[in-house]
Amino acid sequence: MMHLGLSISPFGHHPQAWRGEDADAFNVAQLAAQVSMAQEAGVDFVLFADRLGQRPSDNLSPLATPFEPTTLVAALATLARKIGFVATAATAQHEPYNLARRFASLDTISGGRCGWNLVASDRSDGWDDEYASVVTGLWDSWDDDAFVYDKAQGRFFIADRMHVLNHIGPHFSVRGPLNVNRSPQGRPLVTHVLTPGTWDLAARFADVIVIAPPLPETATRVVTDLRRRIADAGRDGAQVKILATVIPWVDGQADFQRLQHLSSTGTAQPDDGRVVVGSPIDIADALQHWFTTTGIDGFVVEPPVAPKGTEAFIHHVVPQLRRRELFRDGYAGTTLRDHLGLPRPALPVATAKERES
Amino acid sequence: MTGKQQMKLGAFLMAGGHHIAAWRHPDAHALAGSDIDHYIALAQMAEAAKFDMIFVEDAAAIRERNPDLAGQAARSTSFEPLSLLAALAVNTSHIGLVATASTSYTEPYGLARTFASLDQLSGGRAGWNLVTSASDLEAENFASSGLRPHAQRYERAQEFADAVLALWDSVEDNAYVLDGAAATYADPRKLHPVDHHGRYFTATGVLDSPRSPQGRPVMVQAGASDVGKDLAARTADVVFAAAQTLADSKAYYDDVKSRLAKFGRQPDDLKIMPGVSPIVAGSESEAREMYETLQALIPDAVGVALLASYLSIGDLSGYDLDGPLPDMPQTQAMQSRQQLIIDTGKRENLSIRESARRFAGARGHWQVFGTPVQIADALQERFEAGAADGFNIMPPLFPTGLQDFIRLVLPELRRRGLFRDAYEGRTLRAHLGLKRSI
Repeated sequence: MMHLGLSISPFGHHPQAWRGEDADAFNVAQLAAQVSMAQEAGVDFVLFADRLGQRPSDNLSPLATPFEPTTLVAALATLARKIGFVATAATAQHEPYNLARRFASLDTISGGRCGWNLVASDRSDGWDDEYASVVTGLWDSWDDDAFVYDKAQGRFFIADRMHVLNHIGPHFSVRGPLNVNRSPQGRPLVTHVLTPGTWDLAARFADVIVIAPPLPETATRVVTDLRRRIADAGRDGAQVKILATVIPWVDGQADFQRLQHLSSTGTAQPDDGRVVVGSPIDIADALQHWFTTTGIDGFVVEPPVAPKGTEAFIHHVVPQLRRRELFRDGYAGTTLRDHLGLPRPALPVATAKERES
Repeated sequence: MTGKQQMKLGAFLMAGGHHIAAWRHPDAHALAGSDIDHYIALAQMAEAAKFDMIFVEDAAAIRERNPDLAGQAARSTSFEPLSLLAALAVNTSHIGLVATASTSYTEPYGLARTFASLDQLSGGRAGWNLVTSASDLEAENFASSGLRPHAQRYERAQEFADAVLALWDSVEDNAYVLDGAAATYADPRKLHPVDHHGRYFTATGVLDSPRSPQGRPVMVQAGASDVGKDLAARTADVVFAAAQTLADSKAYYDDVKSRLAKFGRQPDDLKIMPGVSPIVAGSESEAREMYETLQALIPDAVGVALLASYLSIGDLSGYDLDGPLPDMPQTQAMQSRQQLIIDTGKRENLSIRESARRFAGARGHWQVFGTPVQIADALQERFEAGAADGFNIMPPLFPTGLQDFIRLVLPELRRRGLFRDAYEGRTLRAHLGLKRSI
């Protein structure tokens, strides 16, 4: 069975998608409606991209939502209570304690359905690795059974089930512990969109790696290479999912032509195999081909126009995939890790040892 | 507004209650601090009662260094305030949403953007309570070798506040024109890029967000030092203060209001809303009894440790708990609250144990006990004496303390014409009677 994430934006992912639209698209209700549609179809998660502080001066981006992703996800997670949510945040944007805390809080708000889409810095001195290990270390601050809420004895948590990180490294010094309970899914999910400098970072830290190969043959090579690096990092390959982005124009020939034409004055969409224009059956055929031949675990769908493109994919392509038994029907579990078939992370061995001693 | 002035009221939410031992009370929901539906229910309850706003405080660390003592209180973990209020924003429609965030461990662009986002999510109901973070435990989570001195924290806060205000003003109303024919997404004439290069940080560009429906999010502060009061007089819309007595409250009110003129502002441009923790019951003795029930649940060590943390005196356990507070040097952290504890202890001749118990109820804020009439009288007295424009209500216990206040005290205040029957507007600025910033 394939896994599906849906990347949500007000106008759609085509750079010209905002043409002919109005600012009503900024309404959170419009975004919530797309989430709700995805949830009805049993999609694993919705993802919110971000411009990450590429601070605009006169080029406010049509691709940006008017909302900061982590707060948007906090809001939407109370409205849709089954689907997973992934919010983008850059390591250059937040102090690691603040980021660990924000996502742990999102995960508590959502009952274990949130993920951090990690955007790395452009540094090559191990900064991002140290950052990610501080964040995941802080997420392990509490044992699952730390909080006992014993009113009679006046014991809220058991002291030795709290773990003070005491991290001192070349880039960060963070005492801990995190002041948020352990995540309902063990830890929030970590996703990462692969970039040329981040293959090893992804292999070490990501639960979901998102790739954007132009052709199925490229995907096969990327997956093989990533799987090797995941094994080299000492991780169980079954605990990492690799998803490829796809841009489906469902019955969207006319929109495709129109927006690509407008792009003569702006940016066009990539001219590669991820852009699929055709009927729902054509698109399901393409996804089936990618899924069965490349070793990927599923897709992150980037509707080129929204909400129309989201609706078309959910209502016309997903049923095709389900008919072919390529996509599951509804949710079997309650957390994002459940949806993706990923195990709940155990506390690290070092932490367990500290408990015994 | 016509006729009599009315009070502004905030509902200060805190997990199971403001009382340090609230979570142990039989009526308390012990898991309240990690239950989003508990908070949604409280926010909706406060909104149905027409409160101006809900308010949440913050610390970017656990609050007690000793794990055993921390484990006897419910305050080590909580929701992060901005994500919490974003969640509450889409489950309410009118009430204001004020979150605390520190100027010491964040940077202006990210903070300005996140509050702008909360303001968009809520349709113009967001507020930022600016704090400078006084604790060593917070400093240790952010690579600092120690806490910055008070003056430096405030210098940074001033620069931070100015940068945030400039960013909130960097996009005019209707800047996003979405003119497809002209390929103009945003009108550059309506964008005013910030170019801030200061001592503590750089903030450039325009905010990646449409202008707030209320002009700017509301700025809340609690500064009590001289520099803190000046910053509030220059930049704040609301001040949240701690004062025990009417005289202290009045002196603080007059002091802050008198500073407004030098920044070209009118007295009404800033609302002062001290914290108050009410316990209401059918009779005064019943209210006292409810208070004593909570007090009896405080382990001595927990109360004393909390007091020590607000006094910034590492440890009080070596002193005789039945003796007076020791003399202590003024520390870098929390100067004003420290003074309040010392003054109260001297005025009422309290032992360390008594100070600790007193303080554990509402962390130095005003506590009132009594019948609905007595509590309404007390609030009215301070309101009409010109010691407060309203109050931030800190129920000792949730949800029952908030329910009791709404059910018993609000009708009494309404009968006296002191509190609204219905919202006049949709934004937090409208509730507070503040002008929309231009």
